[in-house]
Amino acid sequence: MGLKEILEHHIVDHVWARFTLGTHVFPVSKHLLMLGIASLILLVVFPLLIRSRSAALAPFRSIIEIIVLFIRDEVVVPNLGHKGAAYIGYFSTLFFLILILNLLGLVPYGASATGNLAVTTGLALTTFVLINFAGIKEQGLVGYFAHLVPKGVPVWLYPLLFPIELIGLVTKAFALCIRLFANMIAGHIVILSFISFIFIFGSLSVAVGFAVAPISVGLVLFTLLLELFVAFLQAYVFVFLTAIFTGAAMHPH
Amino acid sequence: MEALIRPEFGLMFWTITCFVLLVLLLSKTAWGPLMQAVNERERAIKHDRHTAETARAEAEKIKSELETRLTELKAEIRSRMDEARVSAEKEKDILIEEARKSAAIIVESSRREIEAQKLEAARDLRNKVAELSVMAAERIMMKQLDHRANTDLASKYLAELEKERPDLKMEC
Repeated sequence: MGLKEILEHHIVDHVWARFTLGTHVFPVSKHLLMLGIASLILLVVFPLLIRSRSAALAPFRSIIEIIVLFIRDEVVVPNLGHKGAAYIGYFSTLFFLILILNLLGLVPYGASATGNLAVTTGLALTTFVLINFAGIKEQGLVGYFAHLVPKGVPVWLYPLLFPIELIGLVTKAFALCIRLFANMIAGHIVILSFISFIFIFGSLSVAVGFAVAPISVGLVLFTLLLELFVAFLQAYVFVFLTAIFTGAAMHPH
Repeated sequence: MEALIRPEFGLMFWTITCFVLLVLLLSKTAWGPLMQAVNERERAIKHDRHTAETARAEAEKIKSELETRLTELKAEIRSRMDEARVSAEKEKDILIEEARKSAAIIVESSRREIEAQKLEAARDLRNKVAELSVMAAERIMMKQLDHRANTDLASKYLAELEKERPDLKMEC
């Protein structure tokens, strides 16, 4: 079994079943299961935690509260202004969904749904819709497109800049999608590569393989910790960039 | 490996559906109550702080009022004390002056009395001396005048009187 098969096994989605609805094929896969687990956690555990009054659950409640308040005070309000309060639900959900999906990738037998281009594209598409929705709602359809090109640009540049800005809209979402996907996939690939080192060196001689093993395991542990950090970081980055883009669409300057 | 970079439409659909549903449901079930609780707490904190600040401002106002009143009272006490001291000084001066005056009067009157008594005593003495000398002279005169001389004197006086008053002249 080569490295390629191992990587494919661990990183690429496992489709267990497909059912067709009209012309479209809907797969039932491991990443969908992870999405379901994350949704279940969000739908069942979070409301219970937030509504519970028990002292034992207070720390978890506080953690959720601190994160939501951070998203409100540091991410949403500075970028979207005070009208952004209405979007806190969206940003909080986005953050916690990405975070839980990221963390599920670190659980044994779990998989990173956010390491699937389809999932990140889906999230980026909703962000794309949100950016345009918020911008149009704030400035009106005409105003929104009129303000796409920054102020102070000579009129003769408009025909050139307008298409560029339109492409920019798409690029923002596309960058979000690729960034999350690449970050989540990279950690897994690095971990798998480190583990594969043991067997690559082991194929030279068993002794070398055993000698390399502690180094590899140490590096894997380090990378796992890094991935844990990246799980939080990328969730934050995704939410933060979404807020910046939405804010820029709402208040053009 | 191409599967890695070939997004599956079905999963994308599930993701979007899932996410939108989550946003809608969680806004109702999780973030709504959370933000409500947070806002209530923030309002309570703001209210508490406001109350505390007003109470402190009140206390400071009262304190400054008390201080000004205290300083006023101190100033008043000082002025009253000064006044009292000045008036006492004046009173003392007046009393001393009066005492001095009355002492002078007493001294004057007693001196006058002494003078008068002295004069009286001198007059008395002189009278007594005069009387005594007259009496002593009388006695001496009585002793020196003898009967003959008396009759000569008497007849001489009678002759003088008869000359003066002829109507009384006795015929002898």
